[in-house]
Order: sequence, then structure tokens, then C-alpha cells
Amino acid sequence: MKPTKPLRESLDDLGRFSEPALLILISLADGPKHGYGMTQDIAAMSGQKLGPGTLYGAITRLEARKWIEALPAEDRRRPYRLTGAGQRVLRARLASLQAMTRIGKSRLAEG
Amino acid sequence: MTAQQLVRLYPPGWKTRYGDEFVAMVGGDRLSVQQVIDIVSGAIDAWMSSEARRAGAAAPAGAQQGGTMRALSFVCVDSKLRYSPRDAAIGGFVILGASALFAGLGFLARRGGLSVTSEFLHVAGLPAALTLSMPFWILKGQSRRVQLAVVGATLAVAVVVTLV
Repeated sequence: MKPTKPLRESLDDLGRFSEPALLILISLADGPKHGYGMTQDIAAMSGQKLGPGTLYGAITRLEARKWIEALPAEDRRRPYRLTGAGQRVLRARLASLQAMTRIGKSRLAEG
Repeated sequence: MTAQQLVRLYPPGWKTRYGDEFVAMVGGDRLSVQQVIDIVSGAIDAWMSSEARRAGAAAPAGAQQGGTMRALSFVCVDSKLRYSPRDAAIGGFVILGASALFAGLGFLARRGGLSVTSEFLHVAGLPAALTLSMPFWILKGQSRRVQLAVVGATLAVAVVVTLV
């Protein structure tokens, strides 16, 4: 039996799914949602409408890394919630974005 | 084309785990071209991703697997297969070349007033190009007969799903 790979701790490992995955983690930060609820919430907060293939590509990766977990299905729709590991990854990414924003703003102010 | 039809393009394990909720989320209405492209790209990605292929590993036993997809799954999951950077480069070249060819044919079809053919070529071009590249990486080491069977069956399924 092959050894299981250790969990990776950065959204950057998700390649083209890193941005949709970040949006999903942010969406789930205020409580569980199913796929349709996530797309609506993400569209409302970011203006981006994630396609179903993209959404579930990101969900598959987030769940494999145990950053989100599925709850019992409700009428074929399955809600997901953020795990403790998912919260840590989200906090780290938001802190990194905040630092980048601060640096960018200060450089713009200097220029 | 509906989500129910397109979800058949995904690996069996993925379908077992996410198929129902995916179809429930997308709904039964006809999909836009952008949605079709997004779902087909997602299916290609799922076949390429070991996480997605393993997604149904913990799912209940007795899950249904289609013939072509079962054969493809067997080939994809076979960990003994190896391909070199050169094979990957050839495969990539085939994907790019075939995609460009299909896009060009689609463009010509549109200019010739064949809008249905044009849309078909645009939607099916990328999955077809990816399928044609398989003998150089995923299917490397398999007999010519297996390669022809898997590529032919996958192309046939893609054509049927795109046309229905």
C-alpha cells in the first residue's frame, strides 16, 4: 500500500484552482453552504460567477486536503463547512494578501 | 445539453461522490456554451487529477461504472505507467496542434455559414485534442489495440454527448 501524502498547507498548491478555492473558503467562513449557495455568495461578494466545473474542481481539492468537509445531504444538495485546518489556511492567505495590499498601497502613495 | 449528460464525462469515483449534488446544483435546464466548456474542462481536469479520481474511494460499494470510463479508469490508475518529459512535450504539442486545427476548422465552418458544425468543433475541440494526445502519456506502454479502443471510444462518447 502506498503511503498517503502529507497535507499541503498552501492554497498555491492548487494551481488554477487556488483563487476559486480561496473564494470558497471565504464563503464558508460564516457557516456551511451547499454548491449553489456558494456560487450565489461568491457572486455577491466578488462579482465572479464560478462555473460548476470550476466550483467542483476546487471543492474536490479542498475536501481531499480536509480544509472543508461535507455535511449530510439535504434533498440531494450537500452542504460543506470549513474545518480547523481550512480556517488556518484561510487566515494565512488573508494575512498574506493584507501584507501585499499594504505594501502595494504604500508604494502607490510614494509614486 | 444538460448537466445529467455531461456528468457522464467525469471519472466513476468522482461521479459516485459528487455526481448527484453536482447535477442538483446545475439543474436540468439546457446549459450555455460557457457552462458546457467549464464542465468539460472540469471533467478533463478530474481525469488528470489523482485526488478527483480517488474521490469515490470511500463511497458505498456497488457504484455504477460505464464501460469506456471503466477501461479509461483502469488505464489512468495503473501506477506502473511512466512517461518522460519528451513524451509530455509530444503530448502537449499534439494537444496544441489538434486544438488549433479544430479551432481553425470551426472558424472556417462559421465563415461558411455552418453554425452548428462551428459550435460543435469549438465545444468538442479541446476534449478531442486531449484524447488524441493520450497515446503519448496516459496510454503509453499500452498495446496499439488498447490505445485505439480507448481513444476511439472516448472520442465517440464525446461526439455523442456534444451532439445530444
